[in-house]
Amino acid sequence: MMKKAIGASVASLMLLSVPAWAEWSPERPVEFVVASGAGGGTDNFARTIQSVLTRGKLVDQPIVVLNKGGGSGAEAFLYGKQNKADPNKVIFATNNVYLLPHVAKLAYTAKDLQPVAALAMDEFIVWVKADAPYKTVTDLIDAAKADPGKIPFGGSQSKDTDETLVALIEDTTGADFKYVPFNGGGEVGVQLAGGHIAANVNNPNENAGQWQAGAVRPLCVFAPQRMAKSAAIHDGMGWHDIPTCKEQGLNIESYQMPRTVWLPADTPPEAVAFYQQALKSVFESPEWQEYLTKTSQSGTLLTGDALQAFIDGSEAKTVAVFKAQGWSTE
Amino acid sequence: MTVRRFHAEVATAIGTGALGAAAVIGALELGHGWSESGPESGYFPFYVGVILILASLWNLGAAIVARQTAQGDDGAELFLDRERLLRLGRFIGTMLAFVILTVVMGIYVGAASYVAWNAWRSGGYRAWVALAIGCGFSVALYLVFEVAFLVPLLKGPIEPLLGIY
Amino acid sequence: MENFDLLMHGFGIAITPFHLMLMVVGVLLGLVVGVLPGLGAPNGVSLLIPLTFTLDPTSAIILLSSMYWGALFGGSTTSILFNIPGEPSSVATTFDGYPMARSGQSTRALTLAFMSAGIGALIGVVVITLLAGWASRFALRFGAPEYFAVYFLAFAAFIGMGSASPVKTVVSLATGLLLASVGMDNVTGEVRLTFGFSDLLGGISFLVVVIGLFGIGELLATVQEGLRFRGVSSRIDLRDMLRTIAELPRYWATTLRSGLIGIWMGITPGGPTAASFMSYGIARQASRKGAAFGSGRPEGIIAPETADHSAGTCAMLPMLALGVPSSATAAVMMGGLMIWGLTPGPMLFATKPDFVWGLIASMYVSNIVGVILVLLTVPLFAALLRVPFSIIGPMIVAICFVGAYTVSSATFDLWLVLVFGLVGYVLSRLEYPLAPLVLAMVLGHKAENAFYQSMVLSDGSLGIFFANPLVSSIMVIALALLIVPKLLHIGARLRGRRPASQEIR
Repeated sequence: MMKKAIGASVASLMLLSVPAWAEWSPERPVEFVVASGAGGGTDNFARTIQSVLTRGKLVDQPIVVLNKGGGSGAEAFLYGKQNKADPNKVIFATNNVYLLPHVAKLAYTAKDLQPVAALAMDEFIVWVKADAPYKTVTDLIDAAKADPGKIPFGGSQSKDTDETLVALIEDTTGADFKYVPFNGGGEVGVQLAGGHIAANVNNPNENAGQWQAGAVRPLCVFAPQRMAKSAAIHDGMGWHDIPTCKEQGLNIESYQMPRTVWLPADTPPEAVAFYQQALKSVFESPEWQEYLTKTSQSGTLLTGDALQAFIDGSEAKTVAVFKAQGWSTE
Repeated sequence: MTVRRFHAEVATAIGTGALGAAAVIGALELGHGWSESGPESGYFPFYVGVILILASLWNLGAAIVARQTAQGDDGAELFLDRERLLRLGRFIGTMLAFVILTVVMGIYVGAASYVAWNAWRSGGYRAWVALAIGCGFSVALYLVFEVAFLVPLLKGPIEPLLGIY
Repeated sequence: MENFDLLMHGFGIAITPFHLMLMVVGVLLGLVVGVLPGLGAPNGVSLLIPLTFTLDPTSAIILLSSMYWGALFGGSTTSILFNIPGEPSSVATTFDGYPMARSGQSTRALTLAFMSAGIGALIGVVVITLLAGWASRFALRFGAPEYFAVYFLAFAAFIGMGSASPVKTVVSLATGLLLASVGMDNVTGEVRLTFGFSDLLGGISFLVVVIGLFGIGELLATVQEGLRFRGVSSRIDLRDMLRTIAELPRYWATTLRSGLIGIWMGITPGGPTAASFMSYGIARQASRKGAAFGSGRPEGIIAPETADHSAGTCAMLPMLALGVPSSATAAVMMGGLMIWGLTPGPMLFATKPDFVWGLIASMYVSNIVGVILVLLTVPLFAALLRVPFSIIGPMIVAICFVGAYTVSSATFDLWLVLVFGLVGYVLSRLEYPLAPLVLAMVLGHKAENAFYQSMVLSDGSLGIFFANPLVSSIMVIALALLIVPKLLHIGARLRGRRPASQEIR
């Protein structure tokens, strides 16, 4: 049955694929340069797109995936810089493209790449251990105020999205947590389930398994509105039943991680248009909706000015936190 | 031209010591102390670097002592005699040429020339047989890596002319 | 007994003609990627993932895991024949496998490796079958201090009994630790020891170093002795293979011990590479002929191979039950799981019994398939050694460089291989042990991260490493493994006897 559904969707994509709009199309194999190791969130993002593009025949040339996750993804961005104006190198990232150069001395800036599209937003949720005394995020914050610097808050990596969010919570509320960095979201999830840390801000799918088993519990999500409806995951609660942090009185309206696609700077506009169009078709495909549901991400297609505005806004907000924390290298 | 073991020991000790020194210098830029939340990021490289320098000095000293105590034949123990040195030198030389050629012309041209050269010069095959072996090897690489497993290898200026990207 | 019923149900799913075919295809593909250095299992598995979208998840995981087993087998082949570890976890197999092959017994070495690998994998699956629930609960008890203790234990077990000059061991260990700390450190978010070179940002890849030190280094040693392979095996004999299989029961103690070490390191976060080193170290310590290790002892092959595969198999458990991949390949498979819409976690066993038990049952079958297929390739590989050196030597050099390049598609790595080749040759000629360097590169950075996290958690107090019975007992065992052999050594010397290790050297 599954196979049939995919077959039908491939057929529908083929109708879309007649490249009447294409003034440019790749003439040699396209490289998908992934700013994470194999198996990471960005890797799954790129490979899902690769599979939709290939099976829908949206790109005639073969697509090869290259993982360049070294230096938190900097390796991929440097590669983009070295291949200036090459329309056959597509780079897959999150917000790390424009945030990394602010916290580490690197031989590239965000100007060396140009944004093509953002296709999804990964949400951040505050999680605690299932048997923890905190009922709302305010309880957790009050506990940190009562016992400053003692409540261990885990996260993935240092000076990255997780620590930035924890710092943002601290700045907004005056609470003081003890931030403990680990190597990835999966690891932080298990540390929380094992009770070695008190809370984390994992993305939905990083903690979904532990929530399902009733080992951890979500408190609130950093989004303007609640997440999409879903089947119940644990104890009758689904993603939609998680309150927003704003509802619970934590004044951070939105904190999301975009899944972004980039090209090297100075790539001809026709090539950018080609990829935007192709990614738009991907976004509209049933496979993409399936990917979003399975990984509990929100689908948001941003291109052109809207994308630039999102990037500028997110960069300005985050850099302010970097400066306040003294992480900025400028 | 020969290399004595003493010289090899001394050169190695100096090399590892230099690595230790580089680590210490790099770690000093990062801060190598113990902050309130545990060790700073230069802490481990700094102390490992110091240990490496000390151990290298010890090895240097041991080499010198060994040379002084063992007079005559032992102290002059050979690391490489002339014949072996030449053989190694030639092998390393062609390998170096291979790497340079690969960086400039790509892996396929580099590998084909390198394999062909060796088959011709040290294998004693006729030139055209050697060339065929080299090219066959490159084609096999291409088929396994790029066609079967979709892993792109380093290409130079020639491949695009043949329509291979 | 409930697990047993589920397993039987799993066999019903795994043993269908279609799944058997997937296993054969997977194992064969795995052998190919395992044999070529650089094109390792993670590469192969991530390549197959898009192909699996049309399969149902159970068939897909059977294909991917079979490829993983195949790659593990293939990795040992090149370790033994050419001293080039195809996979990180088969580095320890080179220590005795290569000398044995060089002395003309390549069939024996390969057969020992493959058989013990298969046995190791089976030990691992049996444990998964019996203890799945318990083991995943146990793994939850591991926080940062426990992680550190496990890494420390692996170090201690391997380093404690070295027979080389202690100062040279220190140099080797320190060099490995420094190489591992180059690049961006995720946990502290700092860029370290790159001296402004962008090429170093991603760190120095372990595989690149190993290909240089072992692969190129060994070729240089071969060349120095004349342009031919030393002690090329004359003929491959089926009887040779059978005779080797018949000698296996003699090493039951080593096998059992190594299997247990593998299980321990597979369930705790040590992983297969650490398991193989630790098992090799302990086997050398336990053997009366310990000092002869490194010259082609059968236990020196059985120990790392059994542990490697039982750890590799057990490592599937944390991946499925907790969502923590303990190897690069497991990370890729987990990515696949998510794309197929399965959520790794404790509930996976309850919500998708067909998937989990189908996979577990397939592990029994595909490892047996793997052993049979890989034994069939032995004559083929041994025939490679009869090709004249002037042809095969340069080809191995070229494949080493190609392999290093594929790790991260960087030309800089080509230079690194060349440098590490020379370094490896000089260091091993001067009797610096290379194994501590390799182990330090694998575990050094992880141990440092775990130490850092522990210090953050405890506000800088070392007491955290003795804060509960679990972490204290691991630390005590580790310290004992580090100190006791030295004491015995000194004791033997005081009694006026020369320690065994010096009689051989």
